[in-house]
Amino acid sequence: MPLNTIPNKGLTSRGYPSDRLVTPIIINGDMSVAQRGTSETGLRNTGGVYLIDRWAYRRSGTFTTDTFDMSQSTDVPSGQGFVKSLKMDNLSTQSSPPNPTYSAIAQNIEGQNLQMLKKGTSNAESITISFWVKSNKTGTYILEVRDSDNGRTINKSYSINSASTWEKKTISYDGDTSGVLDNDNATSFEVTWFLSASANFTSGTLQTSWGTLTNENRAVGQVNLLDDANNEWYITGVQLEVGEFDSTTLPSFPFESFASNLQRCQRYYQKSYNIGTTAGTATSDGIMLGIRGNGAFAGATRLPVVMRTAPTLTIYSNTTGASGKVRNADTGSDETASTNGVSDNSFNAQGTTSSISTVYQFQYVAEAEL
Amino acid sequence: MIQSVEKIYSDNEFNYQVIFVDGTISFVPHNEANRHYQEILEWVAAGNTITDPGA
Repeated sequence: MPLNTIPNKGLTSRGYPSDRLVTPIIINGDMSVAQRGTSETGLRNTGGVYLIDRWAYRRSGTFTTDTFDMSQSTDVPSGQGFVKSLKMDNLSTQSSPPNPTYSAIAQNIEGQNLQMLKKGTSNAESITISFWVKSNKTGTYILEVRDSDNGRTINKSYSINSASTWEKKTISYDGDTSGVLDNDNATSFEVTWFLSASANFTSGTLQTSWGTLTNENRAVGQVNLLDDANNEWYITGVQLEVGEFDSTTLPSFPFESFASNLQRCQRYYQKSYNIGTTAGTATSDGIMLGIRGNGAFAGATRLPVVMRTAPTLTIYSNTTGASGKVRNADTGSDETASTNGVSDNSFNAQGTTSSISTVYQFQYVAEAEL
Repeated sequence: MIQSVEKIYSDNEFNYQVIFVDGTISFVPHNEANRHYQEILEWVAAGNTITDPGA
């Protein structure tokens, strides 16, 4: 029996072992896998910025100064088994966020992985989200669950009570009898931890029951993490359970082996480099080969894990590290790369020389994030 | 953030060569489920033009 299918100790409040018997719904909730690197600096107006696998910096609106540095940290709650966390280090001193803006950390979840919630039916399940969080900035924060198939949200608040102290939060969300989730590989749930929000997102009444997305009801009460350049925010140990739990009934965190966790992350991001090597590094460790056939591509690169969809490919010369290049092994020079036959499990890459049997060397990153 | 997009034809197929503002060059499939393809659509909707050299 795989490690992550071992039943929890005891029974859930519903009288039978947790639905976590399958696999964790939140991927990389312990922040241990970070294939892209360990820090991303100067976040501002680019949304969907990934560093730690599956976790994205998201924002709305336009910021005039940098907002955060994002990093993988070793600052973790003591004695809980976690070794990594996600850290957001604020860079700005904006007494109030420019309107309309928000900044946040989020994980998006495929609809086909949420069908057990029976959303949009009379049997809709509640969910519970638990996590460890720490910040010097105490006060009220908002955690949103957004049904992006049907434009519906539910928003709950949590409090950071003690400055610079790890606290565990457990928040339940009612099941939603409206809005069936699409059974596909696209985003159905966006789980979003707000870090700042302007009046456009805070001027209404917090929407603590499922309802149509209304911007002004999404982040009411949210503290402004952007107001002091010394502000920091950390999170780890994120789990999403089917059913309603409190701090005493919540199943233990679904720790996975690193290999199992990595494999699930690779559905969304994978690379030919060694796990600890940054993309664009000039190295032949892990290089791939492409071969020119008679007037066409020949030989495919098989991806080790089937991806969510046909990925964006970034091809790098193994010799110079330049993106958009392959290395012609015959001439020993870089050539402009092109790709072909891209599917969720393979692709071809080659250069500009069309001579039969030309051999190309390259590294790659394949990205199919939500 | 996208800087430029060019349609690239290869062996009776095409995809999009995207140059991002940080200089990274990537290839994006013509696939609505791909988030970068969605970014291209938004980039075009904002008034930008894809370079198309023809097949």
